[in-house]
Amino acid sequence: MLKSVGHNFYTPFLSLFDQLVLGNCVLLVNLRRMRLEKCWFCSSTVYPGHGIQFVRNDAKIFHFCRSKCHKNFKMKRNPRKVKWTKAYRRLHGKDMTQDSTFEFERKRNRPERYDRNLAENTLKAIKKIDKIRSDRASDHIKNRLKTGKVQRQKEARKQLELGIHLVKAPLALAQDSSLCLPKIKDNVSQAQTEENQPMEE
Amino acid sequence: MCIRVIGASNHRYAHIGDVIVAVIKEAVPNTPLERSEVIRAVIVRTRKELKRDNGMIIRYDDNAAVVIDQEGNPKGTRIFGAIARELRQLNFTKIVSLAPEVL
Repeated sequence: MLKSVGHNFYTPFLSLFDQLVLGNCVLLVNLRRMRLEKCWFCSSTVYPGHGIQFVRNDAKIFHFCRSKCHKNFKMKRNPRKVKWTKAYRRLHGKDMTQDSTFEFERKRNRPERYDRNLAENTLKAIKKIDKIRSDRASDHIKNRLKTGKVQRQKEARKQLELGIHLVKAPLALAQDSSLCLPKIKDNVSQAQTEENQPMEE
Repeated sequence: MCIRVIGASNHRYAHIGDVIVAVIKEAVPNTPLERSEVIRAVIVRTRKELKRDNGMIIRYDDNAAVVIDQEGNPKGTRIFGAIARELRQLNFTKIVSLAPEVL
């Protein structure tokens, strides 16, 4: 029977090792709490066993997810100016900044009494909230890119209009209407036929 | 300045928690320790990364040691800066209790 000795769920883990009484023998097990940190530079999650923690002389801890972020930090780069970091993207409005789903991820230092139902529900909720958050984030990006897409389509249509003779010989188009390009939009095809008529003559 | 690592051969470097024999190169005046005194100290912070069993790697901003006597009690009354948690396992409890932050 595994019984935990001197191991309190309600209090933060103070000792590096806790004793687990397993039958007659006592095992020294490292029950240090695992917390998913955020990389200081790129804001991605640092899972246990990854990355480096740097402790500055004023006891401020910097977590890094990989050596790329660590090296950038050593170069004294400002993450708000480095394009691929979350800090830059949030600052420049590339990524969603304000959303109610972010409230769930706030750091809480108060330890919770272990409740099996609570834990189960929390796990389910985490999955759901994650999905909602990522959906909203991708919508945000899609909306941001919408204007560019419309603009590009407009330009493409115009280019097609002007350069239709590069795509298909105007004579061929006039002779065999089945070779006509698929309709993009009504006004475009009308412009095409209007253009071709003077050419015929 | 470090002269020797206690309990180690010539080709070993000291890590956090090792006791070293050191000589004082610079001393604040009017303290019990003077320049060019040979003392023992335990290393509490290193710039070289410290690897823990749970996969955590910690790096400090400087190399620091606490002057101790033969029993392992600190000679001073105050400690500045963060201390590595490993010292508690090595029975430097007085140092750990004096430390402002144990990381």
